[in-house]
Amino acid sequence: MDNVYVLRERLQAIYGRHSKIFDKGLQFLLALVAFLLINQNVGFMKAASSPVITVALAVICTFLPLMATVVMATALLLAHMFSLSLGVFAVTAVVFLVMYCFFFRLAPKMAFLVLLTPIAFALKIPYLLPIVCGLAFAPSSLVATSCGTIVYYMMEYVKKTSTALEGSGAKGLMTQITKYAKQVFQSKEMWIVIIAFAISCFVVYSLRRQAVDHAWKIAIIAGAVVNVIVIAVGDIALGVHTSYGALIGGSLVAIVVGLILELFFFTVDYARSESLQFEDDEYYYYVKAIPKVSVSTPEKTVKRINERQETEIIDTEAVRKNAERKREKPVSKRTPKKGPGVKVQDMREVDKMLLTQSLRKDLNLDD
Amino acid sequence: MLDEKKVKLMTRLAFYEQTQGKEDFKVSAYYRKDYASLHTICSIIWVTVGYICAVGLIFLAGMDNFLSSMSFGMMFLMLGILVLVYLFLLILYGVIASHIFNKKHRESRQRVKKYNHDLTRLLKLYEREKR
Repeated sequence: MDNVYVLRERLQAIYGRHSKIFDKGLQFLLALVAFLLINQNVGFMKAASSPVITVALAVICTFLPLMATVVMATALLLAHMFSLSLGVFAVTAVVFLVMYCFFFRLAPKMAFLVLLTPIAFALKIPYLLPIVCGLAFAPSSLVATSCGTIVYYMMEYVKKTSTALEGSGAKGLMTQITKYAKQVFQSKEMWIVIIAFAISCFVVYSLRRQAVDHAWKIAIIAGAVVNVIVIAVGDIALGVHTSYGALIGGSLVAIVVGLILELFFFTVDYARSESLQFEDDEYYYYVKAIPKVSVSTPEKTVKRINERQETEIIDTEAVRKNAERKREKPVSKRTPKKGPGVKVQDMREVDKMLLTQSLRKDLNLDD
Repeated sequence: MLDEKKVKLMTRLAFYEQTQGKEDFKVSAYYRKDYASLHTICSIIWVTVGYICAVGLIFLAGMDNFLSSMSFGMMFLMLGILVLVYLFLLILYGVIASHIFNKKHRESRQRVKKYNHDLTRLLKLYEREKR
């Protein structure tokens, strides 16, 4: 497990060093995949669906804020719808307007989820969304995911019935609008998915915030199970057919991705958790403290064994000259510094004292 | 001679000015109450537009059913439900928008205060340098 943590630290360090490149790269990829998906499914306008235009748009979006990608994708989708039929265009435009009025005005930062949701559906991993939203965002992200789900089902419907919706004059316009609006809003499969995602997201969000051990793991697994159960029950109750293999497989992928997210955002050591209890004048406090797992990445030092050593080339001429110069001017020897000399006056005093002492001893003259 | 403290301070100020600062200066130009009220009213207008569009779409989607079972009583009942839902949405969005924009203003104001504080420190450093 330590190796995994070391790998995580290394990945984080690499991302930290090149975060700008990674961010822009991801933004380009997101824009490119979103535009390709739109062009592949509803590419009715030939000029807008060419690969050159798609790549050019993605490149432009890379250097603009993320919101610009969402606006560009919406504009591209509406352009395709307009070239298919005016009625389809009107209904799609109104759906986007409703989304903007009710949600994106208040939470514009969540708009990228509207792009990610159809992409997840196209990659056959939509069951990932409620788990990721519940783990990484607030429950309000659910509205963005629901909007993305509606966009995906709108595209699916238009893709399937494009020939029936095409053309027709002003007379057929009303019929077109009614038919399209009915198909979009009466799609049982879409409503089942939206409800299942909502319940699953709430389950994940509320469980991961509980003060129990392995809360994230419990939340991920419970969310995936709830998702499968709600979709299965909805399918049986409303008579809709969903591939159960894809449902279970997608949910397993969602669990794996959820565990990877846990590794990056919530790695704690439950074995070292501590429960504290204290009080003040008004409250009793029950606190559970769980330490984070932190692993220091071992630093590799490369020791070169066969490193090439530079050999010193001695200038023989210079050495000879130096030796000659030394011989000519002998260096004066330095004598060590002498301390202060003993004064003659003091010596006489000492002699006098010693003489008087010896005389006193000889003559037995004591004080 | 480069002053490290001054360079750090100026980098922080320039970074803020070019990122969050742009929006924060606009937001903090208003009083909190004015800012929150203005945006709440805007939100209510947008919700009204969105609600009309949504009701229109739902009506279009279920037009056949509505027209086949339409009567005066049914029509009044429908209108009543629509007005009630509209009022509920209006209150809900009013409360949410007020909360969001109040919070946004408070946070912006705090950041601008910190920016002003840093700016004052920088000015003091310049004054000290002049002496």
